[in-house]
Amino acid sequence: MDSRASVLECRDLKKSYGDNAAVKGVGFHIAEGETYGLLGPNGAGKTTTISMVTGLLERDSGEVFVNGLPLTTTSIDAKREIGLVPQDLAIYPDLTARENLIFFGKLYEMSGSDLKKRVDEVLEIIGLTDRAGDRTEEYSGGMKRRLNIGLGLLHQPRLLLLDEPTVGVDPQSRNAILESVEQLSGEGMAVLYTTHYMEEAERLCDRVGIIDLGEIKAEGTRRELVQLVGQHDRIRLQATGPCAAGVEALASLAAVREAGVRDGGIEMLVDNADRWLAEILGKVSGAGVGISSVDVEEPNLESVFLHLTGRALRD
Amino acid sequence: MKAFTIAGINLRRFVRDRSNVFWVLVFPILLILVLGAAFGGSSDPRLGVYEAGDGELSGGLVLLLEEQSGMQVVGFESRDDLVATVERGEVEAGLIIPADYDAGLQAGRSVVVELAIRSAEDAQGIRGNVQSALTQQSGVLRAAAFVQAEGAGTFADGLDVAAATGENIPDVTVTVSSVGEQIGYFQLGRFDASAQAELLLFMFLTSLTASAALIQTRRLGVARRMVATPTPVRTILIGEGLGRFVIALLQGVFIMVGTLVLFNVDWGDPIGASAILIVFALVGSGAAMLMGSLFSNDQQAGGLGVLFGLGLAALGGCMIPLIIFEYFAPTLFNIAHITPHAWGLEAFDALVIEKGTVVDTLPFLGILLGYAAVFYLLAIWRLRKVLTS
Ligand SMILES: Nc1ncnc2c1ncn2[C@@H]1O[C@H](COP(=O)(O)OP(=O)(O)OP(=O)(O)O)[C@@H](O)[C@H]1O
Ligand SMILES: [Mg+2]
Repeated sequence: MDSRASVLECRDLKKSYGDNAAVKGVGFHIAEGETYGLLGPNGAGKTTTISMVTGLLERDSGEVFVNGLPLTTTSIDAKREIGLVPQDLAIYPDLTARENLIFFGKLYEMSGSDLKKRVDEVLEIIGLTDRAGDRTEEYSGGMKRRLNIGLGLLHQPRLLLLDEPTVGVDPQSRNAILESVEQLSGEGMAVLYTTHYMEEAERLCDRVGIIDLGEIKAEGTRRELVQLVGQHDRIRLQATGPCAAGVEALASLAAVREAGVRDGGIEMLVDNADRWLAEILGKVSGAGVGISSVDVEEPNLESVFLHLTGRALRD
Repeated sequence: MKAFTIAGINLRRFVRDRSNVFWVLVFPILLILVLGAAFGGSSDPRLGVYEAGDGELSGGLVLLLEEQSGMQVVGFESRDDLVATVERGEVEAGLIIPADYDAGLQAGRSVVVELAIRSAEDAQGIRGNVQSALTQQSGVLRAAAFVQAEGAGTFADGLDVAAATGENIPDVTVTVSSVGEQIGYFQLGRFDASAQAELLLFMFLTSLTASAALIQTRRLGVARRMVATPTPVRTILIGEGLGRFVIALLQGVFIMVGTLVLFNVDWGDPIGASAILIVFALVGSGAAMLMGSLFSNDQQAGGLGVLFGLGLAALGGCMIPLIIFEYFAPTLFNIAHITPHAWGLEAFDALVIEKGTVVDTLPFLGILLGYAAVFYLLAIWRLRKVLTS
């Protein structure tokens, strides 16, 4: 499906905690420069999956390859390629951000001026340059989260795994985090991003796996997922003039499923708004309708999740 | 190399908390100082005295001893007590006045009092004092015997008269036997025995309480994060252990040098003593790593660390000397050797009492290294399990 080199390949991952089957056969692959999202509610098995993918958790079965290297809990080479941002903070509270970064940098086999330079860069990326010399126990929750992320970026891994990195972060920092993920992915990093925020998955991820009760229920681009469940885009036009005529004019377009006049405008369901919007606007204005604004609402992953599981993403 | 990085961060975090520095470096020295002062507050040597009988003459001798200058007299309730105390170096010498002291003297027989001593130098002054007290008393006795022989009264009446004019009357010879050699070759200074025991006790105790640090690293999530880096679990554990090893070693060196300077404690051959320190610090840090991998609550591990630290030390002869075990409870002596402390003390005995070199400590060091290896291997196995399941 994707011609780019596969950075992460995992198959049939299984893990049970006692009787609780937390992950029941999860598999996916991520290509260079691709961001893959695991979207699912609390307890879906996201962290368990990520832990197996980083070699932090002994799996019951399945295989993981990173850059073609097999990965187990004792692999060294494969772990070199991975950067991890764990869901729970994993930083030393009694050390400064810089000390934390230097320490983990060394564990990632960096040293000397390279390490120093990279630490400065990362501090810049996570916006902690000014506070780099303070102990992290004096940081706000969001600042700690940012450092937690910085530690995963340090050695410029081929594969970055982020486990709900934005939980408990203010909107500004959150945006900064999402932006840096977008940038890193643009630079060719493969990213695995878990979240239960539908908006984050939609914004960041090239492909999304919808995970629930330890299984990937569906996988694909946002559009593929949406189409999978037969949902349509909704287009609302603020319009003046003969709206009914406009609606009639749309009847000739097969992509338009339903159209009608609603409070001072036209509303319709369309198979693929991106593809058909220009033509729709042409038909409507051709019927003499004046259009003052266009609002396209694509069906979201939330509704896909609801459709697949019969439950809301967040209860 | 990464093990050093991990050890470095461990140490850095340790010294960042100033109270750690106090508890590890200053406190043990203070405690040794206090314990030493409790027995050795004054520089006068002390003579322990046990009176087997309760006769007047026996009591009189004690009074005479107490009048001697440059010496303190401490009463004891049993012979064993006295001997043990001399062995521990808590008094310089012990005088045992036999039950037949009064009877023998009154019958005109010569009587043997035993003087148990540790080192000839320490006991020199005391021995002189004992001799002079005995001389004084025998002079008085000679006079009493004279008065009695002349029919001028009873022995007791004579004693009173003689006491009044005692000085000018010739001596009666009383045999003094030193039993120092019979109870062992004790050539230790006052603090020596306790300093060695305390050294081992503190090094082990400090190491064990450090298990809480490993647990904390686990709870902070940084231990798992380290597992996610290209670092094997054994390197992580060895690094954490190495940090604690350095701390235990530092403490050991500090106690050794401190007691050497302050109390002139004899640690024996310096190379041998250093070897014991290094090996024992390895054992301590290994035990700490094992505990830190077994428990997941740092409070719990801290408490248990103190319990094991003190318990093993007591069992291992750091509170009551092993030689006492050997004499009075041979089974306990064998049980004591379950603990690394007992082997550590034996190693020190080889150096200090038997005046050996590092070569003589090797058998004990070998056993201690075995402990360290077992502790570390179990800890690595266990830590790998807890971090990846
Ligand atoms: N260490 C553990 N011991 C026992 N059960 C566990 C453990 N870790 C996770 N589980 C169980 O495994 C299941 C999946 O948990 P997991 O943490 O992977 O979910 P998640 O998708 O990351 O959820 P969240 O969004 O809340 O982080 C849950 O039922 C959880 O209770
Ligand atoms: Mg999770």
